[in-house]
Amino acid sequence: MPYYFCTVSSGKSFSPSRSLWRRENVGEHDLDCALNPSPFPGLPEGVLEMRVKEGSKIRNLMGFAMARMQGEGAEQSGLRQVVFVGSGRAVTKTITCAEILKRRLGGLHQLTKVRYKSVREVWENREGGTPEVTVHRTVPAISILLSKDPLDPQEPGYQPPEAPMGLWGNPTINALLLCATRSKTRF
Amino acid sequence: MSESCGAVSLSQSQSLPGVAGGSAMDMDPVEFTLRKRLPRKLPRRRNDVYVNMKTDFRAQLARCQKLLDSAGPGPREICIHGLGLAISRAINIALQLQACSQGALQLAANTSTVELVDDLEPEDPDEGETLTRTRNNSAIHIKVFYPQ
Repeated sequence: MPYYFCTVSSGKSFSPSRSLWRRENVGEHDLDCALNPSPFPGLPEGVLEMRVKEGSKIRNLMGFAMARMQGEGAEQSGLRQVVFVGSGRAVTKTITCAEILKRRLGGLHQLTKVRYKSVREVWENREGGTPEVTVHRTVPAISILLSKDPLDPQEPGYQPPEAPMGLWGNPTINALLLCATRSKTRF
Repeated sequence: MSESCGAVSLSQSQSLPGVAGGSAMDMDPVEFTLRKRLPRKLPRRRNDVYVNMKTDFRAQLARCQKLLDSAGPGPREICIHGLGLAISRAINIALQLQACSQGALQLAANTSTVELVDDLEPEDPDEGETLTRTRNNSAIHIKVFYPQ
């Protein structure tokens, strides 16, 4: 069975055209899921993990996450923490979901971790004939922890909750200033 | 603002009989060309690298590596920024730098939302007016540094 290794820098060595190839619904196998249990130190088990995929609808994800965080009628006050996990093409969507949740529920502490994830995809030819192709890819993956409880500010990737009216009124400027104050360089 | 939107689209759909009517609030995509305005110019220190999808990946990686090596006195670190589709590439560059340094580098990632403004210009510059629409996009800022 032909094997392709897609390295990171030349990730386009096998980019099949969707009219000729179809990805088998084997479920992409995360090859190092056993090695990377959780990138967040001291996180209790059983925290809500939202797995964002490329085709996920943001509306559905946010509905579920908001309901859980705010708590339905029976629960006390909802969950304290939620983790958004995404990889490959879903990274941008993951960040978008986290940002939307931060905007709707203020005062959330954020911890962001990035890593590589090895993924195995199996593509089969639509017309048949050619054998299946297995592709090994390493794709970037991101995990974003949002917590109502304060987190360790010294941990790399920590972002405090937004001030209601940011310094310059722009969250991006705030994020840049955060980088600047940490490193004590000036603009 | 919504009143003027409705008025504009209604008058234009009447002038082109082939176009589907729709409600007064619908903006007919045939009549407008979308122009994306560039995101706000953000401050740029010497150690800031903004990643895009047009420049070659290896060139951006080499530039970041050079900046990191020759940072001179003071804290040796750079900050990599990516907007929208370039978020993946920014993460890739940061992780590649970490891999090349044999684990000496540490990464700290922050996310934010950037507001983008689109200009919608009608086909006929005489009829109708340019409308603007704002939308949000995600951005990532990754600090790559040698821990003290």
